[in-house]
Amino acid sequence: MGKIEIDLKHVDTSLDLNEFKEDICPDLDLNENNTLPKVMRARVRQWGGEKIWMTHKDFGIWQPYTWKDCYERIELVHLGLVSLGLEPGDVVGIIGDNDPRWFWAEFAVQVGRGIVAGMYTDYHYAEVKYVLGFSKATFAFAKDQEMVDKIVHEKDNLPNLKKCIYWESKGLWFYEQPWLMSYDELEDLGREYKKSHPTLFDENIDKGQPDEPAVIMLSSGTTRMTEDGVPRSQMGQMTHRAVMANLIGIFKLDAWYPTDRWLSYLSPAWGEQYFGLTGGLLSGLEVDFPEEPETINNDIREIGPQALLFPARLWEARIAEVFSRLKDSSRFKRFFYNRFLPLGYKMADYVMTGKKAPLWLSILNKIGYWLVFRPLRDQMGLLHLRHGYNAGATLGPESLRWLHALGIPVKQLYGTTEAGIHCIHPDGDIDYETVGKVLKPEWITVSKEGEILMRGPILGCGYLNDLGAWEKVFDEEGWYHTGDAGHINENGHLIFYDRMKDMVTMPTGRKFSPQYVESRLKFSEFITDCIVLGGEDKAFVSAIVTVDYANAGDWAEKHRVPYTTYPDLSQKSQIYDLVKEEVERVNLYLADDIKIKKFANLHKEFDADDAELTRSGKIRRKFFEERYAELIATIYSDAEKYETEAPVKYRDGRTGKIRTSVTIKTVIE
Amino acid sequence: MPIIDWTRIPLFQGRQKVESDSAILRVEDLYLRFGALEAVKDVSFEVKGNEILSIIGPNGAGKTCVLNCINGFYRPQRGRIYFKDKEITKLPSHRIAPLGISRTFQNLALYTGLTALDNLMAGRHPHPAMSKEGVISGAFYFGRAHRIEIENREVIEYIIDLLEMEEIRGKVVHSLSYGQRKKVELGRALALEPELLLLDEVMAGMNLDEKDDMARYVIDVHELWGIPVVLVEHDMGVVMDLSDRVIVMDWGTKIAEDVPEVVKKDPRVISAYLGTAEAAERRIT
Repeated sequence: MGKIEIDLKHVDTSLDLNEFKEDICPDLDLNENNTLPKVMRARVRQWGGEKIWMTHKDFGIWQPYTWKDCYERIELVHLGLVSLGLEPGDVVGIIGDNDPRWFWAEFAVQVGRGIVAGMYTDYHYAEVKYVLGFSKATFAFAKDQEMVDKIVHEKDNLPNLKKCIYWESKGLWFYEQPWLMSYDELEDLGREYKKSHPTLFDENIDKGQPDEPAVIMLSSGTTRMTEDGVPRSQMGQMTHRAVMANLIGIFKLDAWYPTDRWLSYLSPAWGEQYFGLTGGLLSGLEVDFPEEPETINNDIREIGPQALLFPARLWEARIAEVFSRLKDSSRFKRFFYNRFLPLGYKMADYVMTGKKAPLWLSILNKIGYWLVFRPLRDQMGLLHLRHGYNAGATLGPESLRWLHALGIPVKQLYGTTEAGIHCIHPDGDIDYETVGKVLKPEWITVSKEGEILMRGPILGCGYLNDLGAWEKVFDEEGWYHTGDAGHINENGHLIFYDRMKDMVTMPTGRKFSPQYVESRLKFSEFITDCIVLGGEDKAFVSAIVTVDYANAGDWAEKHRVPYTTYPDLSQKSQIYDLVKEEVERVNLYLADDIKIKKFANLHKEFDADDAELTRSGKIRRKFFEERYAELIATIYSDAEKYETEAPVKYRDGRTGKIRTSVTIKTVIE
Repeated sequence: MPIIDWTRIPLFQGRQKVESDSAILRVEDLYLRFGALEAVKDVSFEVKGNEILSIIGPNGAGKTCVLNCINGFYRPQRGRIYFKDKEITKLPSHRIAPLGISRTFQNLALYTGLTALDNLMAGRHPHPAMSKEGVISGAFYFGRAHRIEIENREVIEYIIDLLEMEEIRGKVVHSLSYGQRKKVELGRALALEPELLLLDEVMAGMNLDEKDDMARYVIDVHELWGIPVVLVEHDMGVVMDLSDRVIVMDWGTKIAEDVPEVVKKDPRVISAYLGTAEAAERRIT
């Protein structure tokens, strides 16, 4: 392999995919088709123009693309890139919303034995510079003017970048940079190149090997920073064999069929590499792309997907939306909802554990289904959902149970950037205290210190351009250290506590996971985010909460509480009372010495641009505690108010200051 | 194969950035009076084929009156208005719109009970293509009427894409925020595929983000369609950034006309429009 260095020392490359897959994807021979592009070709030969691979809503219409359509486009993009000088081992950066053209570009690069480094659309230019610069990307794809501008801004710092290709030309008509080019122009180049190289695409597919890197998963980078002050994400590479084995392992527990539809919503910089891209290819299901990220609520209803993956915060947002709309609905509707929900909960307990429910309950639940659950699910666009996955952060047990009461089968996943997805809930074996059943007990274990360890064939092949750091995450026996704390219970389910370093010991000696408490708090429709604080130096547990602007604002309007902006709303005493009730609800579940005694509503929402969250929505705890050290100190003093002047960083890189005061409320004296 | 191909749409055919300096609209000695109140006093100016022209001035300076005269809402007592060398002074507004002049309104003129999409489709109604529908075909929605409707919808979808209105396409206008309604208003004006766009305070009442977006759309429309834009605006930052030329009005007269850099420094403009503290107070009371 050319310029990319990989490390196959730790990953088990002896796995025979055909043997491993057993009866999954019976129509695929994975010895013959041992890379993703080869699987793609096999699928195209199988289905051609008969079956739809992708649909994308554009100009208000769902535009279908069959396997043959996509294959032809991928060929053109590939040949276009080759004619511009794409070589094996090249890295290509892509930034943009989910779109067939992103997927085509990635497959085109894979065929050329290069690798794609995806980026989140809300990256500011310093982060774009880091990913493109550190990966030494030779080409970049960008969706539109907004994304292209970020690259234009940093072009002088990116000596390796030869061309940037955009797929929406709006606003770019008069850009004169010679290194900019539209997707259509690239395909034209490919068309021209094909005349002199008619079989090159096929030959290049044949050259791929199963133990070459296929995809990059961007780690969230919770610890280190670059000199520009942006998080230093590691780029974990995965081989074709590993990523295919991973998906097959998942399908064994949770099967996908070619007749299913998958909603592509999660950023392709991250989990979508596994699901929509690899999973879509292996299972042959239809991958649907919403028109814009903002139109998801409408589009999801039009698609009615069988499978999708939302990050926890999106599930929570959808639940909060239903709650808020229920409050506005008629008494008649609420009456039925309140009568049938307890039955739904009862039924869910049977379904989740795979037991057979008594006849009377099944009958009543069926009535509830037609009267309440079905219309609600239809409103949410989740009527046909069979596999709803949650990733990123854990979803609180209340949220999970509520979804199941409605009959929405949401399952937890657990995985890491470096080692793929190792746990998932199979149907009929869902335990809301765990993050899923382990795919294979030999591949995962828990150390004496309580740290989750992994090895086996589903493992990365090194951080891109940083193999030194890769070596450090393994021990002598070849186990990968996740840095997460957890344990495996008697049913083979993994219980995830938290990051090892985030586990907190109270002065009383009790250990607890702040994230667990946070996920329970976040079930509330009025709370979007929160951070729970504790530790040996802290006399009691406290929380800093951000209220949900839409729902709390709605509540305030109905109860005639005037407010102007978010900071103003968050500091209203009535809103504090609301949050207090939620805190008291959660306190019921907690042991006395870890009950939340005080909390404060933060005057702003957590923001990834301020580096308070990772781009996938996890809290960057250490950073947060440093940044709000004064507020935290005030919480642990006797003061009831904290005056602040917080620095803010705008997306374009400018900085400013916001001055506010934050009230601290005591829950338990 | 669906690809975004702007040139395929009738809207954009043969409409590259106009380089011509010739005037598309000429206003000569315009005079408008309501009883004893002289709203516009002998104002003359030209709009060139490739520019963004701003008209600024304090409240009551007569800016909107000028626009109302151009598109036929008001009948001026004196003066003439020429559009592409054709006199339109005496034409009623429903005859002026199909000529290719469309505008947005300061106080929004939308059907609040219809969806954003329906509002745009309604805005398409004065377009010459619609008159070819025929009564019977139109009443029963078949044949030509059916085809024309689909063509219209295609144009509207391109406008929706241009103004990033996908999210609000199916929403009823009265449920939209003010900034979103302004966007629908602009879209409705564009639905006519105008050759001259008159924008009456499109940025008023918007927050900073919405203003940025709106400025972007105005530039996009201007660049992509190569059509001249007349902008009546209060926000000086926006005006100075966007405009090729600026006309300043005060008490119904034109007191300055030049490029933004010059207008900014003109002492008459500063005292009339930007004003001193006392001047500002006088205006409010």
